[in-house]
Amino acid sequence: MKLAYWPGCVSRGFTPELHGSMELVAPKLDLELVELDRANCCGAGVIAEHNQELVDTLNARTFAMAQAVDGAAGMMNICSTCQGAQSECQERLDADGDYRKHVNSHLRDESLSYERDPDWWNKNFLWLLVEEIGLETLAEKVVRPLEGLRIAPFYGCYIVRPTSRLGYHRHPERDRYLEQVIDVLGAEPVEYAGSHKCCGFPLITMNRVTSLRQAGRHLADAIDAGADCLVTPCPLCHLNLDMQQPAAVQYVERDLDVPVLHLPQMVGLALGLEPKELGMDKHVVKTREVQRKVASLAAA
Amino acid sequence: MAENYTLKIRRYNPESGNPAYWSEYAVQLDPERSVLDGILQAKDREDASIGIRCSCRAAICGSCAVRINGKTALACNTSISDAAARAGADEPIVVEPMNNMPVIKDLIVDMDAVHWKKVRRVVPWLLPDGPPPEREYIVPAEAMIDVTQSMACIQCGACVGACLSLEVDPEFIGPAALAKAYRFVGDPRDGQHEERLRDLAEDPHGMYDCTHCFACIEVCPKDVAPMSQIMRLRRRATGDFDIKDGNNGYGHEKAFVDLVERYGTLHEAQLLPRSFGDGSLVKGQTEPGAVKQLVESLPTAIRGLKSGKVTPRKVLLHPKLPDQDQVRRIYKEIHSKDERLELNMYIVGENADEEEPAMAEGSQES
Amino acid sequence: MGVISKVHPVRSHSNAAAGGINAALNPEDSWESHAFDTVKGSDYLGDQDAIEIMCREAPNEVLHLEHLGVTFHRDEEGKLGTRAFGGASAARTYYVADITGQALLHVLYEQLMKFDTIDRYEEWFTTALVRDDSGRIAGAVTRNMRDGTFELFTAKSVILATGGNGQLFIPTTNALICTGDGIAMAYRAGAPLMDMEMVQYHPTTLAGLGLLITEGARGEGAHLYNAQGERFMESYAPNTMELAGRDVVSRAEQTEIDQGRGFPDGTVALDITVVGRKRIHEALREIVNVGRDFAGTDITREPIHIKPGNHYAMGGIKTDINGQTDVPGLYAAGECACVSVHGGNRLGANSLLDTLIFGRRAGQHAAEQGRGVSMPTPAGSELARERDTISEIVSRDRSGRRVSEIRAELGTTMDGKVAVFRDEERLREALETVKRLQEEVKTVAVDDKGSVFNQDVLGVLELQFMLDNAECIAMGAIERKESRGAQYRTDYPERNDADWLKHITLTANGDVPEVGFSEVTMTQWEPEERTY
Repeated sequence: MKLAYWPGCVSRGFTPELHGSMELVAPKLDLELVELDRANCCGAGVIAEHNQELVDTLNARTFAMAQAVDGAAGMMNICSTCQGAQSECQERLDADGDYRKHVNSHLRDESLSYERDPDWWNKNFLWLLVEEIGLETLAEKVVRPLEGLRIAPFYGCYIVRPTSRLGYHRHPERDRYLEQVIDVLGAEPVEYAGSHKCCGFPLITMNRVTSLRQAGRHLADAIDAGADCLVTPCPLCHLNLDMQQPAAVQYVERDLDVPVLHLPQMVGLALGLEPKELGMDKHVVKTREVQRKVASLAAA
Repeated sequence: MAENYTLKIRRYNPESGNPAYWSEYAVQLDPERSVLDGILQAKDREDASIGIRCSCRAAICGSCAVRINGKTALACNTSISDAAARAGADEPIVVEPMNNMPVIKDLIVDMDAVHWKKVRRVVPWLLPDGPPPEREYIVPAEAMIDVTQSMACIQCGACVGACLSLEVDPEFIGPAALAKAYRFVGDPRDGQHEERLRDLAEDPHGMYDCTHCFACIEVCPKDVAPMSQIMRLRRRATGDFDIKDGNNGYGHEKAFVDLVERYGTLHEAQLLPRSFGDGSLVKGQTEPGAVKQLVESLPTAIRGLKSGKVTPRKVLLHPKLPDQDQVRRIYKEIHSKDERLELNMYIVGENADEEEPAMAEGSQES
Repeated sequence: MGVISKVHPVRSHSNAAAGGINAALNPEDSWESHAFDTVKGSDYLGDQDAIEIMCREAPNEVLHLEHLGVTFHRDEEGKLGTRAFGGASAARTYYVADITGQALLHVLYEQLMKFDTIDRYEEWFTTALVRDDSGRIAGAVTRNMRDGTFELFTAKSVILATGGNGQLFIPTTNALICTGDGIAMAYRAGAPLMDMEMVQYHPTTLAGLGLLITEGARGEGAHLYNAQGERFMESYAPNTMELAGRDVVSRAEQTEIDQGRGFPDGTVALDITVVGRKRIHEALREIVNVGRDFAGTDITREPIHIKPGNHYAMGGIKTDINGQTDVPGLYAAGECACVSVHGGNRLGANSLLDTLIFGRRAGQHAAEQGRGVSMPTPAGSELARERDTISEIVSRDRSGRRVSEIRAELGTTMDGKVAVFRDEERLREALETVKRLQEEVKTVAVDDKGSVFNQDVLGVLELQFMLDNAECIAMGAIERKESRGAQYRTDYPERNDADWLKHITLTANGDVPEVGFSEVTMTQWEPEERTY
């Protein structure tokens, strides 16, 4: 499957292991990724807060570039926040023809234009796995079932709310996909209170206490529910859950030491890739214990 | 045709001295009836002591917000068959009181202690400049429709119960009260826009304590979209009044927007230091609160360097997009306008042109 | 000064007054035109002095609300914009989308928060009015629902703004709180009730649940069709079609349904799609939600099935133009009161107006009166009596029927026999049923024995209030042997001005209400034949 691929900013910035692991996982899933290397930041909700027309134009630009990729089935992103921020813009662009025309007028210089097309889509890797590749196909490709690994899903707000904007009427199970994927890969999904809550990242520079209390609480809940690690399709959640985890300790007044995997890393492990090549050594919270369990699986 | 449903209601009787407990009730209702109808039937037929506030049955009085299968909603406009389907086969429909507010009895929570207290915090009445005109205030039609979105709030508290910032910070002013604040900030008749915005920006638990999680938008039964109203408060505070706040919301927005203008993608390594310096790395007075936040975040930055994910090279060098001049041109085109353009989905509705292909003026859409 | 309410004030049923508020504010319009439309709409039973006051004061009232912050719809010039409404000869309905009542109620509550010298007693249930030895009002007994404690509020004057009694009927557009409490309490305190037989059935309510589809829909241009696809209003009101008086439209629909031209679910169709999607979103958003959530219908794409349903009590506590009842110091305003400005049939968008105008007048009058009198002394031991009443109910063992059973029987009886078309025989049956239920309610037991939010025991008190209301409605309807406004007697199908151009009053007198009469005040409009 050929895809226009928008990796986002953070996956090439502070979480390079995400972009790297996706590139390794793609061929294993027969995905041909055409990277949109001229596309711009999705705005992450912040540019939307600043100026709606600006963010809609920036994302219309990205969509137009994706639509111009010859033979692509659609566009894929690997960031919940990109998904949500882009879906918000797409909703407005699709809602009103005059508005869309107006936004497209800013793109004339580049000969770009976003066209409303009910068959065109922009999907997060998680949605793509379940809806386009299919859980059965995924199961067939698993060479190293992650047996014995207890994994706590963490979605990221932007791909679970608001459901009306995120296609839940057509795909009502989208808030269960992570559990389904974890299950298909042979691991055990962990149920806990925080799976669909907020990691706190949007507040990290504005209200550290509120931000890290959230991250800390969800991590603690996952630990108490017996998780070996968390997995998230959102690199911004990863920043708060992994990079900030040592700082979150003081706000929940307890020990936290639970690794957080990116979704492509978890998929990659089951598809036979090695932790090191998936960048699992680049996390702030050490993934040694997960690596050890995976290694024992390989040995067995 | 009536069908069988099971409701599992969390009961609590403060006079009993016992903790909360669960009770199940079997009800028979047509599938299109509501969860409230189910609760009322259980009260009517089995146990009239079940406590729930309710009145209009039509999602306009705002009395009956509860949690149904974990999601906050009005019981009266949640279909019982949908709720049963979401609960799963052979599982009861779980009904609990809302979060973030103390429970008084069964499904009744103390709205006054939380919700109304926060509403009162935002000076929730119109403060016009000077005496009123002889006739009506002359204001643009769109402005009135626009604030009618927040006027549509029925004060049911569903957003307050679902708010994820409130869950960890009880002092957060919260979605309902901030949406109420926008109802005045967006009202051309109000004369205190800047004062209101400054107040809500400078309160550390104000507009910059929203964690942007969409929970309020998801649960609002009236499409008020409280978080969107909070973002509009921020947009007006920074864009129209240049209000610099102790939470550093102003600096964060400015730094983010400027960095994307400069590089096309986000340069996270510069986001933090720039955020705290009034949006600029080099100059600018830094808010006292910002210094504290910056100092607190230093250990994280050091950990990032140690783990190898943040390299000194990354901090200093961020590649620009090949066509970065195009992004800048777009910025320039849009920033040079006198007014910000907003498409209000509340007014146009979803997929408006799908319905009215011929109605959109001048549109060539099919 | 204190405001006592059994629900938080913003939960009140004024929320449901969706469509708007009438005022002749346009220079081309006149208060006389508004007044005449109201008189005609009332089928000449409205008191013309009161109607004149209401219509004269309407423009300033709307402007006052606008100044307080109500987000009224604007026209292209930024001035207040109007929509058309039933029974009106000009488009004079001012509105906030289709949440006008909600917007008004919430803005008034904003003012209540602003003036915090006014004490608010929210979720305090009033059980009885109290008088002094001279028969003057002396206060009210209330129960704090939060903890079950009782309080006697002594007051120089009491203004009842307790709303209607739609819960007597099943189905109804009215909220569960609309149980006629104030009407019954005033009646028990000796104040006469008036026009109780005049019960409005709204033309567009959902079958089953009875929820309201605002008249604003027809004001915006929606059409009514029967099952044969005929726009049947052509044969009932050829000039104004769907925008005739509510009684006229409801009777037309019921006739279509009764004569077999309705849908199998006992309804006719309201087609709102003709209004256009953008305008629907802007002006009728609430009924988009009601259609979607409660009928599974997308009103922007398909017609919605509706029928006439119980909606409004034109009658209530008899008051003068200052809201004074016949009990000194006791006032009433809004739906619980009967001034009477609505007579036999209320025009759409006149109810918010009635409430606001006479609510203000009552408040002003009570304030002035209060300066001249000293604080009264309650005569008896009402506080203890009310407390004992509750204790007695709570202590009963389960033997009789459940509250819900009696309430259900009352509702179906009233809707079956005291509805759009009435006759002597069925009205008498209804009255007999009400009397039996009044006996049965004396033995109901409750499940909830506690003090905190004991809604169960308050439900018994509400049921007793409701039964008093029902008895008076049935009595009034039996008494009025003619057809006028909302009262249509199949056994007396004509209006009879010679004998019945008068109000019927009902006053408590032992076990049976005493029937009396009161003249209709006429200023400038003689009765004419009423056609639309």
